[in-house]
Amino acid sequence: MPLALLATAVVLGAWFALLAVLLAASRTPPVRPGPATGALRPESPAVVDLLTGDWELCDEAASATLLDLAARRVVTLEEIGPELALVRLGRGEQAELTPYEQLVLDHVRELATADGVVATGALAEGARNLGGWWAAFTRAVIAEARAAGLSRRRWSGPQRTILVGAALVPGAAAGIAAAVAFTKPDDGPLGPFFGGALLVVAALSALVERLDGERGTEAGAAAAGHWLGVREHLRGARLLEAPAAAVTIWGRPLAYAAALGVAGRAVAGLPVATPADDSRAWSDRGGLWHVVRVEYRGPGPWGRFFWGRSPLQQLGRLLLAAIPSAGFAFVLGILARALLGSPVEPEVFGVLGAVVVVGVPLLRLALDTLARSTVEGQVVRLRGKVRSQNDSSTTYDHYVALDDGHSRTVYAFGIAEDRWNSLVEGDVVRATAARRSGWIHEVEVVTASRHRPGDGSVGESPVASGS
Amino acid sequence: MTTLLVVLLIMVTLVAALVVFYNRLVTSRNAVDNAWAQIDVQLRRRHELIPNLVETVKGYAAHERQTLEAVTAARAVAVSATGPAEQAAAENALTGALRSLFAVAEAYPQLQAGRNFSALQGELSDTENRIAYSRQYYNDAVLGYNNAVQTVPTTIVAGITGFRVREYFAAPDEERGPVQVRF
Repeated sequence: MPLALLATAVVLGAWFALLAVLLAASRTPPVRPGPATGALRPESPAVVDLLTGDWELCDEAASATLLDLAARRVVTLEEIGPELALVRLGRGEQAELTPYEQLVLDHVRELATADGVVATGALAEGARNLGGWWAAFTRAVIAEARAAGLSRRRWSGPQRTILVGAALVPGAAAGIAAAVAFTKPDDGPLGPFFGGALLVVAALSALVERLDGERGTEAGAAAAGHWLGVREHLRGARLLEAPAAAVTIWGRPLAYAAALGVAGRAVAGLPVATPADDSRAWSDRGGLWHVVRVEYRGPGPWGRFFWGRSPLQQLGRLLLAAIPSAGFAFVLGILARALLGSPVEPEVFGVLGAVVVVGVPLLRLALDTLARSTVEGQVVRLRGKVRSQNDSSTTYDHYVALDDGHSRTVYAFGIAEDRWNSLVEGDVVRATAARRSGWIHEVEVVTASRHRPGDGSVGESPVASGS
Repeated sequence: MTTLLVVLLIMVTLVAALVVFYNRLVTSRNAVDNAWAQIDVQLRRRHELIPNLVETVKGYAAHERQTLEAVTAARAVAVSATGPAEQAAAENALTGALRSLFAVAEAYPQLQAGRNFSALQGELSDTENRIAYSRQYYNDAVLGYNNAVQTVPTTIVAGITGFRVREYFAAPDEERGPVQVRF
């Protein structure tokens, strides 16, 4: 047994030595920053982001791509005020775009109102799967870099074959060690052998895949060095505080500055590859984009405890609140009797305390549940907040925020999960709700969101029209 | 001595509150002025486009003099208007006159087909859209400012230091529903 283990350790060590040799052989050639220069090479800002980011793409690449589209007049960026800028789709014929530029433009098109306009802050909105979108964007950028001979996969075919093939040796050694250690007298050694061997081969293969990725070629390293020189040049131009709309003045250099990490404000102003903010939503209700602040707790002293809960949950919370309230009032009763000579029994204090704390919201809850009102608005946020979590499951409270056009601050209503699942951000809905306790009882989609996948129909949902 | 200290403390607190509220009011007022400047830029752009548009239409439809004069007169009123309410009324009248002009232009296919007219129409439409956004931005800024001027405790400081509520820039009636600016 120790011999088998020792042999496994030795061959495993040999395999890791082989891996180290191949890692060293497949590393990116050293990138030497060039002299500061304003000369732009033909690579796009997204590819530049890849080359200067150690062959890993950053979020900035998507924003830089949109800036580049603006510099090339495919779209225009217009500043309305310090906190509001617009992306306007071009009217003319569309220039030939790369697949990743097309992805960015399609995202803008999906969000655009009838006037062909999106607020720059609203670029994080929409119902796209951000992870999938980003993966497609990254694939397209890498494909272009590879086609230009600037990047390649870390492992070549033969290197991968050698590593995976060589992993069979420590696999076999681990199998023998497992067979020696775990074979029972009544069973054959094949089960433990294959179990141990498969485990090691799978682990080593996974490691090979994990270490795979992009690496630079000689040409890529030379290009990266040039672009680092451009970064030095652009750093001197003080573009860090330039807004995205400054692309009208700066043109493509601002797009490259964004890709090179020296135009922070412009990048922050174009959240193309950023998840939407929970508490700050962009709404196009009424045809003009505007910001709506979303609160997940209701107004007033009761909002923190009861807002957005179903009537049953609220009732449960009220009854729970009665116990500490009664205890607190009871203690007050004792103090009042001892210090002020109050003739009232502490028990009476306790009961009165519980009645006051529970009675008022209970009455409120009853009235609110009975007097349901209709709310019509555009769904600007659909969020699930963790209510409780343990090892096996997580339960959520579901919220829907509606922009009814009356205020720039909205309180997100609580809603049952099945109804929540039937909605999409951007839907215009009519809901029957308990306004004071923030609970939606029924909901009906009046106008389907343009972000709805497929044909935008809502008929397939059994709860879309309420219950 | 204690009384003096209490009075002094109250005085310092009051002065500090006065400074904080005053600064808040000034910030809000500056935001309104800045938003108004944004509207002004867009309105000027609009006013500059109209003479070219009138000249272009005149080239094809010179006998539509009444409509052309109405646009020119409405533009003149809009250019000389001052203050949000007067400006809004003048701009809304100008929008109406432009709509009539574009309605007239539809009867002239050659005019419609002209690249110059088409470009002007597109530019004017974009400018209208920018005006709508600027108006929304301005009205949001005015709402914040007016709330500060009219609510306690800032209303006390506003009263002492002469801050007055500002006027909203009213939208044309037809834009009070869902907005889509098209000529």
